Amino acid sequence: MAQEKKKESAMKRRWGMAIDLDKCTGCGQCQVACSQENNIPLFEDDSELLKRVVFLDVMKVTNDRDRAAQYPNVKTAFIPKMCQQCSGNDPKNPKPPCVSVCPVVATDVGDDGVVSQVWSRCIGCRYCQASCPYEARQFNWWKPEYEGSFKESLNPEVSVASRGTIVKCTFCSHIWKRERDKMLARGVKDINAVQYTPACVSGCPTGAMVFGDLNDPASEVSRLAKTDRAFRLVHTIDTWDEAKKKEAQAKKDYPNPKVYYLSSQQWLRDMMRFK
Amino acid sequence: MKRSRSLLLFFLPFIIFTYVSFVVFQKACDHAMNVQAEKKIPFSHKTHVEKYGAADCETCHMYAGNGRFKGLPTVADCKMCHDGNTAKEKAMFAGFKDSDVPWTSYAQQPDLVYFSHIAVMKNEKTARCASCHGDKGHSTTTSKIKGKMPMGQCMDCHDALKISNACMVCHD
Repeated sequence: MAQEKKKESAMKRRWGMAIDLDKCTGCGQCQVACSQENNIPLFEDDSELLKRVVFLDVMKVTNDRDRAAQYPNVKTAFIPKMCQQCSGNDPKNPKPPCVSVCPVVATDVGDDGVVSQVWSRCIGCRYCQASCPYEARQFNWWKPEYEGSFKESLNPEVSVASRGTIVKCTFCSHIWKRERDKMLARGVKDINAVQYTPACVSGCPTGAMVFGDLNDPASEVSRLAKTDRAFRLVHTIDTWDEAKKKEAQAKKDYPNPKVYYLSSQQWLRDMMRFK
Repeated sequence: MKRSRSLLLFFLPFIIFTYVSFVVFQKACDHAMNVQAEKKIPFSHKTHVEKYGAADCETCHMYAGNGRFKGLPTVADCKMCHDGNTAKEKAMFAGFKDSDVPWTSYAQQPDLVYFSHIAVMKNEKTARCASCHGDKGHSTTTSKIKGKMPMGQCMDCHDALKISNACMVCHD
């Protein structure tokens, strides 16, 4: 058994996100905002899966797979899917599936529970991509090519990933650092006072995405995460009863992601559980 | 005699080539590591600190923008104290413009580092300028202190002051 990594940290926050799929219109604003913020080129042809690199993917799902639904009942939904920031069974001692397999410690869990990825350190072995249950990690097969004047508007706070590295969503942690600097300039030294909003959440026009602190019971995220409409992507263990859950968790680590999806449509809930 | 001369003639191109390439590579390495960052002005940190009693580094090096970078003084900043009336000062300000050779910093951080001066200096556990920049206040030049800024140096301080060493604290 690996030694327990229980460190006292000044950081008391645990960032999480709640996405209301009933509010999501699939406009793709979050994806564009994310690409702009994280220096990802926009791709002309999204069907070229090898070339395409996105942190946040807006996936279209429908209940009409294999002609399962007839005309009036056909329904469509869009799922914004990014890194789910897994934390393992115990959120206080996070063990995401990708961190344990990285041979060069390019990916690690921060004190706020955000799974970091330093793409300059990555050697491109793609173990983490294989271990990720949500396919949230993307591999740069080619050097990013920016069209036109995109290169002039690159974000200086995010490093440009080179060819042959794994990239992923980091909940825009550079925005947190930027906000921290602003607070320090104002004389506020408490890092727990820093609040921030990732690019996708601030770009969402319908307010479907909510970001906040899961440790704070008064925050909107933790309130939404506890509602009946909340569920998590491919995380069937949530529906089991406590005894069965304990038994399963004793055997292995479950991802336990920090991104919650909200929907009251039963077909969508079933589909996201691969039922 | 003749034999040794012919030997020398034979090796002379190699010797010259080696010497020239050594000089070229040294210059290239210096350029890459930004060693000759000195701005060619007769400026002495020591005089300003000891004689004129500049209180601390922040008198001239202010925080720029959101506090990530320490600013470098402009001609206007110099002229806040120097009115430029004496012959010596006149000569200096005539031949010194902001646009000449840009100031270059102690160590250009790589792209993946999010280093913020204000986070290090204005926090509860503060660093001193000299912790990373050396005793610049008592030097007589504007040249850069030689050396890189390895990650271990940052991590040692973070360890000693019990600041988190998670990757995301500095990297992005």
